[in-house]
Amino acid sequence: MSGVPAVGVGLVIADPVPEQQVAYVGLVTRVISFAIDAALITLVDIIVGVGAALILSLLHLPHDLRIVLAALGGAAAILGSIAYFVIFWSTTGQTPGARLMQIRVRTDDGQRVKPRRAVVRCIGVVLAALPLFAGFIPILFDSRRRGFQDRFAGTVVVEAPGPSIAEVSRAKKRAVYEASRRSPPAPLD
Amino acid sequence: MTDGERARSRPSVLSPVIGLGTRAATATLRPVAGVVEAAAGASLRLQRRAVDRVLESDELERVVIVAVNSAHIQEALKLALESDGAARLVDSLFDSGLIDRVFERLLESEALWHLIDEIAASPAVTAAISQQGLGFADELGDQVRSRSRKADDWMERAARRLVGRKPSVLPAEPGAGT
Repeated sequence: MSGVPAVGVGLVIADPVPEQQVAYVGLVTRVISFAIDAALITLVDIIVGVGAALILSLLHLPHDLRIVLAALGGAAAILGSIAYFVIFWSTTGQTPGARLMQIRVRTDDGQRVKPRRAVVRCIGVVLAALPLFAGFIPILFDSRRRGFQDRFAGTVVVEAPGPSIAEVSRAKKRAVYEASRRSPPAPLD
Repeated sequence: MTDGERARSRPSVLSPVIGLGTRAATATLRPVAGVVEAAAGASLRLQRRAVDRVLESDELERVVIVAVNSAHIQEALKLALESDGAARLVDSLFDSGLIDRVFERLLESEALWHLIDEIAASPAVTAAISQQGLGFADELGDQVRSRSRKADDWMERAARRLVGRKPSVLPAEPGAGT
């Protein structure tokens, strides 16, 4: 991989780096990425939850029905969170948090993660977190920085350097500006 | 009456002679003066025509281009600009107050403020200002990424030291050119 930053990629290499070599991402970066995703999911959940509560407050529903609706809302939140990760991992390989931290989930052999594998990885994350997050400790010792969820689903997390959001925005604005300069002005009637 | 007054009041005998001489000289030189004047006018016209021809010709353009491209002239200009004399010239220019005067007049000029308003309202400038926030976020993101990678390494080394394991040599990822 070209353009991998030399600092902080976690490599201890004696020989020159081959072009195809990638850098695996460590625990701290992954935790920050996950925290950003969790914040986003929580924000959306709060907005949806407050909206739903306001609507329900207008309706005079029985108490039991309210409990059922709350349980359904909780289940929807969990499903939404799973869908969030599955969709992002299986499409771009990057959640918004991973995009900010410039990391990407790939299969062991460097391919895009398919939805089924993404679901398995999601389950792996939950299983890794259950024993007081012990499932994430192998990231510190594994030669490819894989946690339990990575071994479970056959994935790795690699560096994905790319243009920042500001750079993409600038490029878009520049393209629009140049297109507007190229196109002749509309004739006045 | 004194001798001097007598002398002044006495009509000069030489006056008619002097007047006659002057008229004779004028009559003699008049054709010559006309010729000289005509010659000078013709010379001036000739010079103007020559200058016009030079200015209109392609040769002048060629000469200017050659002069500008000339390494000698460029070197001479460079030496002149780097000389102490050029520095003194600039100093004296600023000391003279001329620059202050220019700026004072510029600041008083309505056209300047109109130009500044036009530039400030231009799409390029407004886009640049709107990019400031994104640029700051970008810089912050870079810092966070850089520090998190260092923290990754540090934490890994600490964990390995804790359990007495050596740092790992990471294998290549086949075909994962991300």
